[in-house]
Amino acid sequence: MSHGELTGNQLPAEPEKATLEGRNKILGFWFFLGGEMVLFGSLFATFIGLRNQIADGPAPQELINLTMTAVMTLVLLTSSLTSVMAIQAMHRKDTAKMYLWFIVTFLLGLTFLILEIIEFVEYVHHGHKFTTSAYSSAFYTLVGFHGAHVTFGLGWLLTLLIPFGRKGLTVTTAPKMYVFGLYWHFVDVVWVFVFTIVYLMGKVG
Amino acid sequence: MADHETTVTGQRNKRVIHEGPKNHYLTFALSIILTLLAFVAVSAGFSPTFTIVFIVTLAFVQALFQLVVWMHLKDRGHTHPIWGLVLGFTVALTCIAMAVWWIWW
Repeated sequence: MSHGELTGNQLPAEPEKATLEGRNKILGFWFFLGGEMVLFGSLFATFIGLRNQIADGPAPQELINLTMTAVMTLVLLTSSLTSVMAIQAMHRKDTAKMYLWFIVTFLLGLTFLILEIIEFVEYVHHGHKFTTSAYSSAFYTLVGFHGAHVTFGLGWLLTLLIPFGRKGLTVTTAPKMYVFGLYWHFVDVVWVFVFTIVYLMGKVG
Repeated sequence: MADHETTVTGQRNKRVIHEGPKNHYLTFALSIILTLLAFVAVSAGFSPTFTIVFIVTLAFVQALFQLVVWMHLKDRGHTHPIWGLVLGFTVALTCIAMAVWWIWW
């Protein structure tokens, strides 16, 4: 912890990996992501198994609004890129740019979340409610769980950004930023499978 | 394993040369193209089986690129993260295979 005071150009290259604690945090986070894969895997398994059980609800072919899905995909993908830019700026020790890119990431994430809420409201108006059918329950559980991850990520990012002005970039704060970057990319990777399996496969039938 | 430990602990003293954002931009472009291709394939009206296999393959390719480039799995010192992910992926895939097997066959 003797490096706790280092800031700016005094910082070692890749400050997130400069301490054992930082490296352990990153490794532990990867194991957590492995566990998250199992969680999402079981939700995908449920969804794939139940996706034809639509009961009296609307069929996915009529229900799904692909334009909305395309816009949401673009927004989340771009937010993943802006968090890459933030970490790149962090590696250049350009703290102001890092902060700016993370704010852009936050705003794009928030846009995604608002679009998802609008989408869900639209689907509920079409009679696609949580308890309508096995398909609708599996749909809202899987897509909603992903949305909950986005929501949690936004809250997490705020708790990182608000005290950051006081703390600055150090070997203690750098791993926190890096780990958030990993989480945000993971949320985007899961969305790739959500739009493919839930939305596109729903259209195919 | 010993090699791996040395690189990780010795990392602080080494001068790290950064690749720059080029690969990250390329991954973004590729992700956009693969996504577009998937959306086009669905509206093109191929047979359902072909479309599903095609778009799921595209999803795996895109996910792999994002993991390897954006999440730095290609960089050194990532042996253990890869093991963690492969284990998680194996269990997840087994879950999906079993669920599909029990329900559809």
